[in-house]
Amino acid sequence: MGFVDKEFIARGLRRSSTGRFLLWILPWVALLVFGLYSAGLCLVKGLNQTNMDNRFAFGHWIFLDLAVIALGAGAFFTGFLLYILKIDELRAVINSAVVIGLVCYSGAMAVLAVDVGQPLRAWFTFWYPNVHSMLTEVTFCISCYLTVLLIEYLPIVLRNRKLRDVPSFLVFEHELHKLVYVLAGVGTFLSFFHQGSLGGLYGVLRGRPFAFREGLAVWPSTFFLFILSAAAVGPSFILLTTWMVEKLSRKRLVRPAVFGRLARVSGLLLAVYVLAKAVDTLVWINRTSPETGFQAWQYYSWKPFGTWILFAEIVLFGLLPALVMLTPRLRAHTGWLVTAAAMACCGVALNRFVMTVQTLALPTLSFDPYLSYFPSWQEIGTFLAVVAYGVLVYSFSFRYFNLFPEERELRLEAAAQEEEPALAGRY
Amino acid sequence: MSIDIDKCNGCGACMVACAVENNIPPAPEAANDRKGITWIRVYKVDNHRAYPERRTAFVPVLCQQCGHDTPCAHVCPQQAVDVDPATGIVGQMPERCLGCRYCMVACPYHARYFNWWDPKWPAGMEKTLNPDVAPRMRGVVEKCNFCHGRWHAAQQKAAAAGKREIDAADYVPACVEACPTGALRFGDLNDASTEVAHDAQRPESFRLLEKLGTEPKIHYRSQRDWVREIASAPRPEGKDGLRG
Amino acid sequence: MTTTRRNLFKFVGGGAAGALLTPAPWRLITDAALWSENWPGIPRPARGEIRARFTHCTLCPAGCAVRARCVNGQPVSLAGVKPHPIGHGALCPWGIAGHHLPYHPARVRQGPVKEAVAAVARAIAQRGAGERVAVLDLRPGRTVSWTYRRAMAAIENGLYLTPGQPAYSIDLAAAKTVVSFGAPLLDGWGTPGNVFAARDHFRLIQIEPVETRTAALADMWLPIRPGTESVLAAALAGETTIAEAARVTGVEEEAVGAVQEAAQSGSAVVLAADPGSPLMSLNAKFGALGRTVVARRESPLPDAWKKAAPVAEMAAAPDGAIRVLLIDESLPGGYVPWSTIEPKLAANAIVVVFSSTSEGYARHAQYVLPAPVYPEAAEDIGPAIDTVAEVFRIAAPLVAPVVPVVKPGEFVAQMAGLPQGDPLRERADAIHKTGRGALLSYADGKSTPAKEVTADDFWKTLNQSGCWMDETGKKAAPSGLGRSVTRLTSHDELPLAVVVAEFNRGGLASPLMSKLERESNLRMAANRVVLSPADARANGIESGGRCLLETACGRMNVVATIDAGVPSGVVEVAGGPRMADLCGASRRARVVRA
Repeated sequence: MGFVDKEFIARGLRRSSTGRFLLWILPWVALLVFGLYSAGLCLVKGLNQTNMDNRFAFGHWIFLDLAVIALGAGAFFTGFLLYILKIDELRAVINSAVVIGLVCYSGAMAVLAVDVGQPLRAWFTFWYPNVHSMLTEVTFCISCYLTVLLIEYLPIVLRNRKLRDVPSFLVFEHELHKLVYVLAGVGTFLSFFHQGSLGGLYGVLRGRPFAFREGLAVWPSTFFLFILSAAAVGPSFILLTTWMVEKLSRKRLVRPAVFGRLARVSGLLLAVYVLAKAVDTLVWINRTSPETGFQAWQYYSWKPFGTWILFAEIVLFGLLPALVMLTPRLRAHTGWLVTAAAMACCGVALNRFVMTVQTLALPTLSFDPYLSYFPSWQEIGTFLAVVAYGVLVYSFSFRYFNLFPEERELRLEAAAQEEEPALAGRY
Repeated sequence: MSIDIDKCNGCGACMVACAVENNIPPAPEAANDRKGITWIRVYKVDNHRAYPERRTAFVPVLCQQCGHDTPCAHVCPQQAVDVDPATGIVGQMPERCLGCRYCMVACPYHARYFNWWDPKWPAGMEKTLNPDVAPRMRGVVEKCNFCHGRWHAAQQKAAAAGKREIDAADYVPACVEACPTGALRFGDLNDASTEVAHDAQRPESFRLLEKLGTEPKIHYRSQRDWVREIASAPRPEGKDGLRG
Repeated sequence: MTTTRRNLFKFVGGGAAGALLTPAPWRLITDAALWSENWPGIPRPARGEIRARFTHCTLCPAGCAVRARCVNGQPVSLAGVKPHPIGHGALCPWGIAGHHLPYHPARVRQGPVKEAVAAVARAIAQRGAGERVAVLDLRPGRTVSWTYRRAMAAIENGLYLTPGQPAYSIDLAAAKTVVSFGAPLLDGWGTPGNVFAARDHFRLIQIEPVETRTAALADMWLPIRPGTESVLAAALAGETTIAEAARVTGVEEEAVGAVQEAAQSGSAVVLAADPGSPLMSLNAKFGALGRTVVARRESPLPDAWKKAAPVAEMAAAPDGAIRVLLIDESLPGGYVPWSTIEPKLAANAIVVVFSSTSEGYARHAQYVLPAPVYPEAAEDIGPAIDTVAEVFRIAAPLVAPVVPVVKPGEFVAQMAGLPQGDPLRERADAIHKTGRGALLSYADGKSTPAKEVTADDFWKTLNQSGCWMDETGKKAAPSGLGRSVTRLTSHDELPLAVVVAEFNRGGLASPLMSKLERESNLRMAANRVVLSPADARANGIESGGRCLLETACGRMNVVATIDAGVPSGVVEVAGGPRMADLCGASRRARVVRA
C-alpha cells in the first residue's frame, strides 16, 4: 500500500506514512458520512428537518454560505494580486488559495442545493432570470466562478508526479497555464460581482430597514462593503490556513515574508473597509433608517443584540486587527499576526451573521415579536459535512499535489543548515 | 381591500375560508405558528398595558399586494412573482418557485409562507378540495393572490356574456365572503364610487408600514388612536411572543 | 472509408447542435419541470359538474342557512345565504369548514350496535320498580326531541332530560342597550349574522373578568372580580348601593352608575353567560319582558305529539334511579358535567351515547354508537336564543354517511316501539296545514305564503333550498326565565378563579381549525391556559411551559401562556366537555408546573 502511495507524492517532499494519513482522514470521513446523512434527511424528508421557519426563512446555512464565500475570496484576490498586480511573493500560496477557494465555493453550492426547497429546479434561474434580482446575479456569477476555480485547480492536479507521466495531461496542463492570466482576470471580475451581489442581497431589502442601504445607482452600499471586506479577509484566511497547515504538518511551507505581505495587504484593505463601514453606518443611522420610519436605536434594544455587536464588528474585530496587521513590529510576531488574522475572519463572519440572522430576528410590524432561532442538528450536520469535505480535499491536495512551491526549497535549506558544523558562528 | 379593525372580532372565519378555497392543508403534527401556512392571518394586537387598562384589537394581515417597488417581485431570481398591471395583484407561481425563500426575507409583512412539509389531508378529506386551485407540493412559497381563480371565473362569465368589465359582485375573495361582521371589504380602488375607495380616503384610514414606500393596497381603519399606531415601526420594549 | 475519431466527434458535435434546433431537448426540460411539480402523493382535486346545494348548519342552534358549492355532488366549500333575514349570509369558522367533518380522523367509526340494542332491551325488561329509562337530549327543541319525548311517554317511567332549555328568546333588533354578564355576544352567541346586523343599533356593555373578544369590541367593558356578578346585579336592581357594589366588584362607581342609567333608559336587555342564570331576572326590573326578552316560539306540531313526556332537568331526577341512560350527543350542544349525572345512575346502569367524538360522554359510557355528523343526516334545527319568529328549518344531508352510523332518533323510537314514520315530514305537513307563514326559497330569494304551495312542494323546498318562517305572531312575555342546573360550590383553598375565555362548543371541528389554534395564536386550543405574570411567577411557570390544571374534580395537562392582560387570581381556559367535567360545580383551580 505504502509503495503505491509514495509514487504519487511529489519528489523532494516528505509526507507521513499511509497509515498515519489514513488515521488522520478517518474521523473526517466519519464526519462526512454523518453530514451526508443529515443532508440526505433534509433532501428526502424536506426542510421541516431544519429549525428554519416562515420568519427565519434564512438561517444557519445562508449565514455560513456567506461567511465561507467571503473567506474563500482569498482565491480570487490572491490571483489578482499575483497575476495582475505581479506581487510575486504570493506565488508561494496561490495553489493553496485555489484549493481553499474551490472547497469553499463547492461546499457553499452543495449546501445551497440542500437549502432550496426544490433543488431539481435550480436551472430555472438560468432559464427565467430576473435581471432585477441580486440573487440571479449571485447564481450566475458563483456558478461561473466555480467553473473558473475548477479550471484553475486542474493544473494543480495534473502536475501530480504520477499524472505528469501521461503526455496528454502534461500538454494540457501546459496549455492551461497560458490561460492563467485570463483566468485570473475573469475570476476577479466574477468575484467582484458576486461578492458584491451577496451584499446587495441585503442592501436592497426595502422591507427590512435594518439591512436596507442607500448606494450608487442600483447597487446599495453593502455591495461595495462586501467586496471590500471579502478582499480584506481573503489574505487573512490564507494566512491563517497556511499557519494551521504548517503547525499540523510540522513543516515550514512558506517564507515569513509571505505572511508579512499577506498581512500588509489584508490590514490595509481592512482599514479602508472599517472606514467605509463606519461612514456607511453613520449614514444609515442618521438618514436611511429614519426615513423608513425605523429609528436605528430600536434595533439594538432587543437582547442579546445590543450595540456591543456593532462595536465588536467594526472596532474589536475590524479596526483592531487592521492596526495590528499594519504595525510592522506586531506583524513580525507570529502570535499577534495569526491572532489578528483570526480576528479579521471573525469580524467578517460577524458581519455576515448580522446581515442574515439579526435582520430576520428583528421585528418589522409593530405587533411582531422578537424571534430567536437555533439550528437543528440536521443543519449543523450538513455544515459539518462541508467542513469535513473541505478538510479531506485539502488533505488529499496537500499530500499528493505540490500546494506550496517553496516547501521543497525550505526543506533543503533547513537540511543544509543542519549539516553545517556547530562551529559555524556563535556570536 | 379595506379592513375595519373596529369590526373585526377575531373569529377566524376568514382564515378557515381561505384555507378551504385555496386547498391549504391542515397543519402537520410538528407545525406551530411559525411554520404553518395561513395566507390570511388575524393577529391579536394590544395597547401594551396591563390589566385592567389592556385593550385588544384584531388585525387580519394578508399579502398587501404592494404597488410600488414590490419587494418580493423585485428579488425573486426566477421571476416566479409577477405583478398584474391590470389588477395590481401580485401573483405567485408555485410551479416556478425554487424555494430559495428570498421573497420571504424581503416581505416586511410576513405574508409569504413556505411549504415545509408535503400537504397531507386526512383520508377522505381530499374529496373536499377545490378543483379551481392546484395543491402545492413541499419546497415552494405561496401566498394570498386575492383568490385569483375567482377573478378568472368572473372574467370568463363576463366574456361569455359579451361584456368587457367583470361584474363586481362576481369577484369576491373567500375571506371577504366569509367575514361575518362585514369588516372586510373588497373592490376596485381606482373606481371612486366603490365603498373600498371611500374607505381608503377616510381620515381614520391607514396602511401598514407606509414609510417603507411599498404602497400596499390594504387600507385599515379604526377610530381608536392606539390601534392606528400599529401602522408604524415596532416599539422597542421586549415582548414575550404572541398569546394563546 | 474508415471512420476516424475525428469523424465521430464531428458527427456527435453536429448531432448535438442539430438536436438543439429541434423541440426535443426543450420539451424534455419542460417535462422535467412538470414532473418536479406533480410528485405522486399530492392529491389532485376531482373535477366535475359544479352546482350549488342548500342546507342548514347543524353545528349550533343558530342553524345558519348554507349554500354549498358541490363538485359532482360533493361539497367543496360552504358559504352563507346572503339575503337571509335571520342569518344574513354569515357563517362562523366552524360552519365554514363543516363539510370536512365526515372525514375527520378522530371520528367514532364503529360501535357495538347489536350489543347495545340487546343490553338496553334487557335492562328495560329487567329493571326494578321506580327505575327510570332516560334520554338526555343535549340539543332540545328539535323535531327529534319530540320523538324522544313521545318515546319516553310510551315507555313506563320514561324520563326526558335536557341540560336546561330557556323558555325565552332575545329580540336584539329591538334592543338599544345590551348589558351582558359574560355572554359571548360577538363570538359564539346566538346567530352571528343576526348579531352583527343588529350591532350598530345597540350599545353593548360587557361585564366580565377578562377581556374576551366580545369585551374588546364592546362599547364599554367592566372588568369585574370573578364571582361577584350577583352583587353588581343587585346594585343595578337598586337592592344595594352603587358604592357597595363598587367595593365588592372592583368596578368603578361611575361605571356602575352609567350601566344603571343605560339599562333604565328603555329597550334594554340583560344577558348572561349561562342562559338560565338568576341574573336574567334583572330583565323584569328593566321592563324587558315582552319587549326584548320574549316567549320562545316553536313551530307547529302534529296534534298526536302533544301527548309527550314533559321536559325535565337532570337535577330533578331522583338519585340512583336511572337504569338506562341514552345520551344524544350527535350535535354539539349543552353539556351537563358528569359529576351531576353520575349520582342519578342506578348501580347497574347502562349508558349509551350517540356521538361522533370520543371526547365527551364517550369517556363515561359503556356503549358508544357512531352518530351521523353534519352534513350527513337529515335534521331540523330548533330555535336559537335570538330567534324571535317561528321557524322550521331542515338541514338536508349533503353527503351519505361515510361510516356506518346509528341515527339516535330511530334507535330510541324503535326501542320504545313508536310507529315507523318520518317525523320531519309529519311536522312539515302539520305546519303546512296551519296555512300560516311563508316559505323562503334560497335559490331565488323569493318568499311565498305557505298556503299558496302544495304540501309536496312545501316539503320539497324545505329539503332542497329553503325554510319556513312566521313573523306575524305578537311578542309575548316569557313564562319563565329558566333556572341553572348546576349550583356553584366554592373552593376557596384553590387560589385561581377559572374563567372561560375561549368559547368551545365541543364535538368535532374541521382539522383546518389548526389554522386558528396552532398555526396562529388566534384561538386557544383546548389544552391552553393563560395566567397573569404574577401568578406565573408565584408558581414557577414559564411561557409555553407544561403545567397541571388542578381542580376539586381532577386535573388536566395544559400548556401555559403568560399575559399581562389577565388579572392576577384568574386562570383563563378554553371551554369544552373536558373543562366542564374538570370544573364540575366549582370554578376554582390551581396551576402547578408539570
